[in-house]
Amino acid sequence: MSLGTILHDMWDIFVTYYIGQNLLVTGVGYTLALSAIAVFFGAILGSLLAIGKMSRFRILRFIITAFVEIMRGTPALLQLYIAYFIVPMVFTFAEMTPFACVAVGLSLNSAAYVSEIIRSGIEAVDKGQTEAARALGLTAKTTMLKIVLPQAIRNILPALGNEFVTIIKETSLASTFFVGELMTTYAVIKGITFNIIPTLMDIGIIYFIMTFTLSKLMGIAEKKMKAGA
Amino acid sequence: MSMLEVKNIYKNFGDLHVLKGVSTNVDKGEVVSIIGVSGSGKSTLLRCMNLLEEPTFGEVWMEGKLLTPVDPYLHFDIIRASKTYKGLIASGMEDMDAIKKIKDEDMLLEKHSQEGPEYKALMQKHFKENHIDTNLARRKMSMVFQQFNLFNNLTVLDNIMLAPVETAKYNKVKDLNAEKAKIREQAMSLLERIGLADKADVYPSKLSGGQKQRIAIVRSLAMNPDVMLFDEPTSALDPEMIGEVLDLMKELAEAGMTMVIVTHEMGFAREVSDRVLFVDEGYIKEEGTPEQVFGNPQNPRLRDFLSKVL
Repeated sequence: MSLGTILHDMWDIFVTYYIGQNLLVTGVGYTLALSAIAVFFGAILGSLLAIGKMSRFRILRFIITAFVEIMRGTPALLQLYIAYFIVPMVFTFAEMTPFACVAVGLSLNSAAYVSEIIRSGIEAVDKGQTEAARALGLTAKTTMLKIVLPQAIRNILPALGNEFVTIIKETSLASTFFVGELMTTYAVIKGITFNIIPTLMDIGIIYFIMTFTLSKLMGIAEKKMKAGA
Repeated sequence: MSMLEVKNIYKNFGDLHVLKGVSTNVDKGEVVSIIGVSGSGKSTLLRCMNLLEEPTFGEVWMEGKLLTPVDPYLHFDIIRASKTYKGLIASGMEDMDAIKKIKDEDMLLEKHSQEGPEYKALMQKHFKENHIDTNLARRKMSMVFQQFNLFNNLTVLDNIMLAPVETAKYNKVKDLNAEKAKIREQAMSLLERIGLADKADVYPSKLSGGQKQRIAIVRSLAMNPDVMLFDEPTSALDPEMIGEVLDLMKELAEAGMTMVIVTHEMGFAREVSDRVLFVDEGYIKEEGTPEQVFGNPQNPRLRDFLSKVL
């Protein structure tokens, strides 16, 4: 199989299936939707975990640390499998589609990583800033809201952008459950054409365009923020 | 009534005993300098005064109000109300011997929870009668740091205005906008006083060390404090900028501000202080007027120290 035929087949498959059968729009659509949900709920839940980890309550801190370590120490695919079977048992009041189960799994996974990003972002703020604020008689809450968090966000945002890129790539694991995102299109097209390599190449290019665009956008946003200070 | 009083302060960091029973008081309008080698505990002593470090034992008082928890060892009536004391007396010990033994062997703090209702009631009574919230006290006792610690995310003007404005909010001031205008006016006049009014809208990263420290000082002044604590305010400055900061501090001292200054600037300490404390190995080894301490030092460690720095 020559390079020429591969390129030819890549183009052929792209036009016939990704454009002709609309797989590009649905695949990318599901991938981005899944990533956006995971990052959104991951960020909210992750912030709560980060706050909880700074609390006075030992038991709470222990539970959060255990959760974060387990999520970081086990494969994401395993977590998705577990979510796939457990989520419908927990959320019995609503019909949980495979997509919803995977979304919950990815959100929890992302929350663990985001909480660490936020925690280290807050810890990176010079201790003297907190001391100066407290020495002026400001409460811990005011100090956090007016001094520490605004400075921490500048440390956090770039890392959060990276997390978004990572999540986009990790959604490919959802193809195991056939939820319709970009990696699922591989199984669909392979089943019809048996032409594996060009299909994989096409998918790789589409993923790369998504993640590369996102990183570039993040880079621009970062520069703008630095200029603002 | 002293402006500021520390009573028998101990501070341990784990096994490291930094302060080993320090007592002193600062009167209104007095300027007290604390000198000593690095690691002697002088900065820790200053930081205990506004509770940035919590003393392990001992009490801190400001204008007749207690900042720390009650230290039972400083109150005979509390010791005498304890079961531990009564047990010792029952075994035939004399009053003062029992009190001394309890203090020396730290017999109370460990067993706080096992003490009886009389002891607890007394502890509570002392606390209720005298205690003041740390945040309230700190608003009247501002601190200037070695590393300036201006808020990086705020402009110079906002740095100065933040604490007074937030304090107005805590106090639920009715007309907040009018109050803000007043605070802004005061902040601008403070900036004019140090000749930095043109820097009001600049971020701290654009300033020199000397400018940063002078702004940190007026940020403290904006709270109209009764006492100001200075933690080696010139140690992180380039030599050519030390003068401008010391001049401003001298101005404050002459205006009657109560000041406690940890410093390595011996000439300055000698010139502006009413009293100098020499802290060494966790104790105040010598204290007196600048003439006494610098002119006729008694303690050999102090003589050794002065021979190296003067």
